[in-house]
Amino acid sequence: MRNQKLQGALLRAASLLAPGDQRAGWLEEWRSELWYIPRRRATRFCLGAFRDALWLRRNSLSAAKHTGIHLESPLSCLAFLALLAVASTLAAVLLPAPKGMLPSSHLRARDLPLFCVVTLLYTGLLLPVMRLAMGRTAAGLRPVRWPHKLRRAVFLALKIALVQPMMFCGFAAVGLAGTVPVAPIAVCAFWMLTLRWVLIDQQRRCPVCLRLLTNPVRIGTPSRTFLEWYGAESMCARGHGLLQVPEVSTSSAGGVQWLRLDNSWSSFFVHPTGARQ
Amino acid sequence: MADGPKLSHTSAMILQAVATGHIYGYTVMEVTGLPSGTVYPALRRLERDQLIRSQWERRALADAALRPPRKYYKLTRAGEAALEVTRKRYPLLTKLTPLEEVPDA
Repeated sequence: MRNQKLQGALLRAASLLAPGDQRAGWLEEWRSELWYIPRRRATRFCLGAFRDALWLRRNSLSAAKHTGIHLESPLSCLAFLALLAVASTLAAVLLPAPKGMLPSSHLRARDLPLFCVVTLLYTGLLLPVMRLAMGRTAAGLRPVRWPHKLRRAVFLALKIALVQPMMFCGFAAVGLAGTVPVAPIAVCAFWMLTLRWVLIDQQRRCPVCLRLLTNPVRIGTPSRTFLEWYGAESMCARGHGLLQVPEVSTSSAGGVQWLRLDNSWSSFFVHPTGARQ
Repeated sequence: MADGPKLSHTSAMILQAVATGHIYGYTVMEVTGLPSGTVYPALRRLERDQLIRSQWERRALADAALRPPRKYYKLTRAGEAALEVTRKRYPLLTKLTPLEEVPDA
């Protein structure tokens, strides 16, 4: 009886990793399968549910769509990051400083610029590594005009600047967990995840209006890679274009491509032609 | 590349298991000896790549047998073609899984 409760709890915990709109179906499937598993193997069976739920989250296009719903416009994204930056700065000042790093027990306001420079330095080192690790080249933005490119670059720079307080807050957290040997590794992983999010968010935005792209669809199959590409395609809700992200790089589809839509497509979108840039 | 997709050995085992009538997640685990954390994501991946398709058992049938409904897996034409190619790549694959009687869905 106790084991059954444990297995039920494991499945419920794993279901939290599955995308919300598929969670009920996913849980039903695993509970149904669990019914057929011999008792002595049931707990081990349930542990596999975590990996399956993670796979589903990673490969679900709807999950990607819902995660960024509140950060759709560039302004709301920057406002959200600014809020986090303020909260992180407060937390960094209130938390005890890492032992031996500062003369005082807490981070002072005058130390903040120095910490920002340090984290910016790390960011400069980590960003190229992250781009390589993500395995995708930058979007082919040749059809995009230079003012839009400039605005996109400024947006990226602002996002990077606004995540710096979060990064030195992570550094200050080492002060709390100073005795835990994995704390520096955890901070480094946190920095990498933060920068990864910055890059992924940038990639998911329309290069013209900087709003998050919508309606992702999967195109093609792996068996047709020789002549066609396969991967995901997202669309700008204002009709500026389509972003094509191949699953693997091939000679015919090397990296992420932006396909600009001209004014003849405007009737398919909510906004009139005049509203498009 | 024209001879179809290249499947990993694990995916090939699972595809072979489904082809030979092991059409539930649990029986695929049993016959391949792979853990649940490998089999279920692999089944989803094969379904996403349209090599297999899934279908829930009718509720009435399951209720009559006093058990929860099961999810059946079946090879698609693309899956059959992929398996044919994969069998040439992994010749021992055919000896791996004996045919099991397939119940009606």
